Amino acid sequence: MHSLNPSTRASFATLAVLVAGWGLHLLAPCAAAQQYDLLIKNGHVMDRANEIDTVMDIAVSGETIAKVARDIPEDQAKKTIDAGELYVTPGLIDIHAHVFGYGGSLWPDDTHMLTGTTTVVDCGGSGWRTFETFKETVIDRSKTRVLAFINVVGAGMVGTESDIDDMDAEKLAAKIKQYPGLIVGIKCAHYGRRDWYNLEQAVKAGNIAGVPMIVDNSILTNNDRDTQTKLLEYFRPGDIHTHMFNDRHLEIVNRFTGKVQPYMYEAREKGRLLDLGHGNGSFVWPAATKALEQGFYPDTISTDLHNSSIFSTKSDMPNCISKMLVLGMSLEEAIFRSTARPAQVINKFPELGTLGEGKAADIAVFELEEGIFSYSDAWKKKRLGDKRLRAVLTVRAGELVFDEKGLGFPEWDTAGDYQKIP
Amino acid sequence: MPHLRFHKRLLPSLALASVLCSAWLPLVGQTTNAPPSDDTVIYDLLLKNGHVIDLKNNRNGRLDIAIIGEKIHKVGKGLPSSRAKKTVDVSEYYVTPGLIDLHTHLDQYGAWLNLNPDHTTLRYGVTTAVDAGSTGHLGFEKFKEETIDKAGVRLLAFLNIVGAGMYGKDVENDVDQMDVAAAVAMVRKHPDSLVGLKTAHYQPTDWEAIDRAVEAAEKSNSVLMVDFHPKPGRGYRELILEHMKPGNIHTHFYGRLTPQLDENKKVQDYMWKARERGILFDVGHGSGSFWFRIAVPAIKQGFLPDTISTDIHKNSIMLPRAHLNNVMSKFLNIGLTFEQIIERTTVNPAKAIRRTDLGTLDEGSPADIAVLKIDRGKFAFLDSGHGKLTGDKRIRCAMTIRKGEIVWDEEGISMPEWSTAGPYSNFR
Repeated sequence: MHSLNPSTRASFATLAVLVAGWGLHLLAPCAAAQQYDLLIKNGHVMDRANEIDTVMDIAVSGETIAKVARDIPEDQAKKTIDAGELYVTPGLIDIHAHVFGYGGSLWPDDTHMLTGTTTVVDCGGSGWRTFETFKETVIDRSKTRVLAFINVVGAGMVGTESDIDDMDAEKLAAKIKQYPGLIVGIKCAHYGRRDWYNLEQAVKAGNIAGVPMIVDNSILTNNDRDTQTKLLEYFRPGDIHTHMFNDRHLEIVNRFTGKVQPYMYEAREKGRLLDLGHGNGSFVWPAATKALEQGFYPDTISTDLHNSSIFSTKSDMPNCISKMLVLGMSLEEAIFRSTARPAQVINKFPELGTLGEGKAADIAVFELEEGIFSYSDAWKKKRLGDKRLRAVLTVRAGELVFDEKGLGFPEWDTAGDYQKIP
Repeated sequence: MPHLRFHKRLLPSLALASVLCSAWLPLVGQTTNAPPSDDTVIYDLLLKNGHVIDLKNNRNGRLDIAIIGEKIHKVGKGLPSSRAKKTVDVSEYYVTPGLIDLHTHLDQYGAWLNLNPDHTTLRYGVTTAVDAGSTGHLGFEKFKEETIDKAGVRLLAFLNIVGAGMYGKDVENDVDQMDVAAAVAMVRKHPDSLVGLKTAHYQPTDWEAIDRAVEAAEKSNSVLMVDFHPKPGRGYRELILEHMKPGNIHTHFYGRLTPQLDENKKVQDYMWKARERGILFDVGHGSGSFWFRIAVPAIKQGFLPDTISTDIHKNSIMLPRAHLNNVMSKFLNIGLTFEQIIERTTVNPAKAIRRTDLGTLDEGSPADIAVLKIDRGKFAFLDSGHGKLTGDKRIRCAMTIRKGEIVWDEEGISMPEWSTAGPYSNFR
């Protein structure tokens, strides 16, 4: 029995109140006992931030996590979900997705909340001239927590990313400082000129505003700029190289030796961050296989999800994580790189990527399916794996927003004449 | 003669093939015969050995489907792989015409509730979606330009009788917004996109919205879809027996607003009478219009939907998970047969919108195809009130073909294995 139906619950409460009224105070705690709104029981909790990797119960009150412990009694919660044989993690954080500006942008809720991802960072869709439109049309209206890497170009990601006249470090920095809770950094991508002007402007603005930049792997535009110079000379510690397995230029892995390039290790030692950014074209099996074989993992697992990649490579967060599992990463490690690690990378949100008590109740529940599953890369070549991570339930700010297995709801034929069951 | 047009288009490059093709034109219509041995036509794609359910052509069994360009070239037994550029073994799956979702909201740059047209359809085997009145005559052309003309899915629409479209009660209750002449003109102007009219959410107690929508549908010789909120003096019985015309569609008919069952859960006589006079009943699941406690007793008494549709939008996609595969799965677990469900998502909606060229695997028709699987296991389905039905079957789309192109392939059945697929373009 996962939860009491509302009428049973109501009659319990009524009974308890009546009994308490008769002076039997021993029973009074029953009435006051439903102190939690939601209880997720028996799940295998993976929460690196709190060093938990075992079966635990999680209680939620309002929009925050109230308690994480073994054996929290069911009668202390208004709704109980049995997550036995499932994994419970902090809501995933996707630091590279497209939900505004770019022509292939997607709405965040049906793409991300339905895949256990409660925080999405839009990667450069808006610029300092369009950020408010983004805020009004997407950030303020979606249930997903939407943050932004703001484009170094004022117009955002609309095809004018080489327009240096639309790059203004002062105005960019001012916009970032105006929205410290929403803008987490600066995006540079699709730059076609033979210089480093866009990065120089992004660094300048980033230094004023105190934020990192995230930069593409010269996709579409390999104009005398190589990743080694970019990472070692232009990046600061904390700056992010995305599309790390794109490898159109055979950079990460030496094509003759099959080894990860020494400069990639050097960049990592110097604090440069490497992001997956899967997308349509940025994940090829040979590069990813070689790198992961050598233990060279992405710092952050992200999707670069947009209207094409969601069909061609199906690279939502559980798909990206599953690909990491196929290549030998442990689930716990992959969850870390999809929760606590991206929270660190975007720097100023200690309430995210963790299930700590008092933190935001953004929670994902996954099933690790066993079977034969196909995963496709940028070249539409598949690799079969025997595991698949599938999102089954999502809680966002304490609200149950997705529940594929109906774990939080009663059977229709015994639930009475219900209206909307919360 | 679509076949003839097709061959003419190929003439410059395939002159010989074209001549030979014309030789077996008389074979069109025969569905199970293998082509003659002198056939030298090359297939772009061959779906091999699937369980084909194509009700319009009375096909229900193991057949191959050959596709050339954007069209279905041939459906038959034993079509040779040696003749195909690419063959996909679909022997583990059902192969049906691309599904039709008769009730969607996909004006993605319009009113807030609308969703992305492709993401909401193609992955569920839906190759034709009909937007149910998100826009009226004032906004339709913007919708067409921005979304309909660019979508991967074939996007059709019911035009809202309200000029401004589905933008809240201020316009939707305003009869001055309901300009019959303007609506008729718009439907006539876009016969390829607009299949008819929609009226919805009307709250005043008169019949203005309904009657004007009926009038506009009659004058434009098109189909009407009705979402109905009964009011004192404006009853459901009168709607379906008097105001609506045969061929009109009542959507959300398992919803709580309309009294389709009596107090003993018996289907009302007027439901059967309305069906007899040709009123069509559409599911339109949505976030408020599908309740197991209504649908299950109605179905047990034999009152099945004419068409199964989603009313998919930003809310219904979340907890009720009202995408078409899920809505179909609910009916499968309630007790409809798979064939009954395919009928209600292919030929029936095609007939309802008078587009019998859709929802079929006719040779020469657009190669819009769904490859479906019935998973066995334990699955849960929520209704609009979040009551749960636990079932043991789930319909899932494994592959979708739209205009001859594989646009969705969840299991990689059309893809080569990476390690043996030869060199990557720049990685050896």
